[in-house]
Amino acid sequence: MVVVPEFLIRRVYKKGSLKRIENGASLELKNVLGPGFISGFNFVKINDVIYEPKDVKFIMGGEQLLGESVSEASPIAFRLGQEGTLIMTGKDSVVDGLNKIVIEVMNPEAGKVSLSVEDTV
Amino acid sequence: MEVTFDRYSLIIDGKRVFIKSGAFHYFRTPGMAKDRFEKMKAGGYNTVDIYFNWNFHSPKEGVYDFSGVRDVRKVLQEAKDAGLFVIARPGPFINGEVNAGGLPFWLLRKEDVIPRNRIGTEYKYSATYMKYIAEWYDHIIPIIRDFDNVILFQIENEYATDTMEEDYMKELYKMARDRGITCPIFHNDAYFAGLWADVVDIYALDLYPYINPNQNWKQDNFCFDTLDNVEEIFRGAKENSPPFIAEMQSGWFDKWDGSGYKHIRDALGDEHINIMTKTALSQGVTLFNHYMAVGGTSWDDLACDEVYTSYEFTAPIDEFGIIQSNFHKAKEINYFLDSFDFTCTEPKAFDFSQTNIYSKMRHDLTNDCDWLFLRNMNPEITDINLPNGKSVKLKPYDMKICPVDLKLKGCEIEFSDVEIFARLQQENEEAIFFIADKNANIYLKDEGIISGDKKDFDNLTFEKEGKITRFVFLTKNLADKSWFLKDRLIFNADYVLPNGAAALEKSGEIAYYDLKHKFAKKYCVVNEFGDYDKPEVIENFDIEFCAPEIDLHYDYSDWQKIGAKTDSLSCGLYDEFVWYKAQIPDTPKEITLSARHLFAVYINGKEVLNRNSYKIEKLQEVPETISIPLDKTILNQDINELTILVQNLGFDKGFSGDTNCPRGLVTFETTPEIPIEFYVKEKLSIERGDLTESDNPYLTKITVKFNVEMKDNVFFAKYLSLENFRFRRATIFLNGVKIGRYIKRTHVQEKFYLINEFLRPENTLEIVIWEKDRNIKSSWGFKSDIKNVIIQIGTQKMYQLMR
Repeated sequence: MVVVPEFLIRRVYKKGSLKRIENGASLELKNVLGPGFISGFNFVKINDVIYEPKDVKFIMGGEQLLGESVSEASPIAFRLGQEGTLIMTGKDSVVDGLNKIVIEVMNPEAGKVSLSVEDTV
Repeated sequence: MEVTFDRYSLIIDGKRVFIKSGAFHYFRTPGMAKDRFEKMKAGGYNTVDIYFNWNFHSPKEGVYDFSGVRDVRKVLQEAKDAGLFVIARPGPFINGEVNAGGLPFWLLRKEDVIPRNRIGTEYKYSATYMKYIAEWYDHIIPIIRDFDNVILFQIENEYATDTMEEDYMKELYKMARDRGITCPIFHNDAYFAGLWADVVDIYALDLYPYINPNQNWKQDNFCFDTLDNVEEIFRGAKENSPPFIAEMQSGWFDKWDGSGYKHIRDALGDEHINIMTKTALSQGVTLFNHYMAVGGTSWDDLACDEVYTSYEFTAPIDEFGIIQSNFHKAKEINYFLDSFDFTCTEPKAFDFSQTNIYSKMRHDLTNDCDWLFLRNMNPEITDINLPNGKSVKLKPYDMKICPVDLKLKGCEIEFSDVEIFARLQQENEEAIFFIADKNANIYLKDEGIISGDKKDFDNLTFEKEGKITRFVFLTKNLADKSWFLKDRLIFNADYVLPNGAAALEKSGEIAYYDLKHKFAKKYCVVNEFGDYDKPEVIENFDIEFCAPEIDLHYDYSDWQKIGAKTDSLSCGLYDEFVWYKAQIPDTPKEITLSARHLFAVYINGKEVLNRNSYKIEKLQEVPETISIPLDKTILNQDINELTILVQNLGFDKGFSGDTNCPRGLVTFETTPEIPIEFYVKEKLSIERGDLTESDNPYLTKITVKFNVEMKDNVFFAKYLSLENFRFRRATIFLNGVKIGRYIKRTHVQEKFYLINEFLRPENTLEIVIWEKDRNIKSSWGFKSDIKNVIIQIGTQKMYQLMR
């Protein structure tokens, strides 16, 4: 685990953005850390529900990317200040009240980066 | 020396000073500080940044060595003599890709010490760790304190925890102050998030936009996003401290599984350092530190596990001490900053936008003018049509600083995209040196347009109210060989020393310019160095088998007996090589072991396994466990002799992993399980000085004798080339000093710097080959094979210093 303090990683999550959608969930991210690449979506976990890369879409700048298409060979640029929406489908996960969210992605320089936050719906 | 600051710049003895610093590792450049500092000074740097490596000075608990190549007082004096300020960075943790991040090995094995007061990202305070830091500070700070050219002091390095408790950092700050540090204290924030800004005097950060050699920074040009907005970060973090980039990328390090320094140097080119430095200026930065300014060598056991011997870093001055093309680019900017006081500027609105063009205007409160910064990130030459009606043609990935309404003594520049190289001035006269550019122009107020399409030394003179300004043009090639000393310029020299002595590779005409005498010339004759382009192939060398430890019946009765924990830290052995010997009955069917990083297993004097276990995946070390089946052909005696040799490539540097991750023999088991009693000893026998020729061929020493002509006033750098070397691993000793590790797998390094400090007129080079080949049936066969090895010694560069 690379030493990027959790409190910094948490800043990437836009507080209050978690939404329940039909058969899934959506949330928003904003890169406030620095320019870089995402070279893989490992998983998104909301409460006890785990979404595999195939269940995850990332919409950024009007472009929709499938989680499973992002890889070391095909990374996506995530610029400083850039915003994106993560959409998870296939299972319901969001509950009324407090929700626990874990997003694990890969970065070519930092390795595994895990974002762990709580948000209320 | 009194050092203060405000929101613009550092103020030294009441005068604003722009800090142009470069990083230098004295421990990786033994005995060559004077040479490297003089070159830095010649390139316009006014400051050297120095990490002080605790581990390098403290081999054992309670032992501190500041003698010989560890004499930091001498290094600091040489910085002072060269006219450089010093940024002192004594850690305690320094990273720098050094073994254990600079923490002493003995410290790592103390159970109640938590390195850096954190486990992973969790803060965990250790009073014992703090006690030992106090001991280090007690030794290093009195030396630092004796030098009044030390202008800044750093605590810790790139530090963060999840909860950001301030106790540790506050305690370090207090420790430094209590020991007499009076200059401003800072920390460098690797996350550019304002970390520790309230704990220190000046907020500083690191910026490395290119850290992945597979990345094409020209294509992925958004890598400069943070740099392009860094002024905002500084102002948000600490309003009243000057923008300070404590580590600003001027190169990058390569790794064992990397792509080689040539690839990185080619990828960065001269454009990267130009963009980095000029963009920083455009963001109001008045203190920068090029990391690194000088490359080095991880000789002995200096390297962390990640990096190989060369720490060339693609720095402006390379590992051999040779000036590289990015040095010339840094020099141009440094000279410009020496010519115009840039310490007090403010951002100014500039309403302009063009695809892939970065633009920024700054108002200069000292020179009462504006400076327009323009950067082209398009892959082709681009015309930039500015709102002021001027058009600028910029090469791909080029960046320029253009003066706007710059009042000179004899004229006024309304706008210029011909870049200023240097300025000499006295009360009523000045000479401005420009770098000729056929696509650029100087727009003079009331004087028309001057094309930048000029030849060397073309010049123009302007006079106004008895004051004179002379423009002198230099082509880029000549600018690279032009050197700005305080009151004059020297042309056609490969480099100069602060005293004005010129260094030349070949005979030639040196030109001088000063305001009093104008141009003067002198022909300098360089003594024939001979043809040194081709290395000499060494044909005569001795061969010895040098690992008696492997031999059956080797007497290891005086070795250290160890317990169940076999890793090197637990055994208190910190050398790269650790030997393990034990007796093993003939009953086990299998042994299973894990060792870091390279190891071999011998039973009854015969090799049964030779393995390179070093593996990194997704930036993490991957441990490997290996089982070796045994049978009666291997365990052919009732009691058999087991020997294991482990070579560790260094401890983790501690930035992201644990410094005390185990090395040596990490685990060992037999099947069925029987207790094995190990005895250990460190170092190869040639290092220990107890070498006797052995019967086995597994480690073989080649001894080469060669002479070096030491001449006064000649700079030279020599190397050993193992290009076309037929063997897979070697450790290289020059006059008894370990100067390199060769591992063929990755081909990242085949040329090794023969460090000047360790060279003598008559030299002995010993190369210990650790060869695996099982087909070697006899000693004679192996020795015969080694006779065909190709070893070359060459000269990288030679310069005569013309006093």
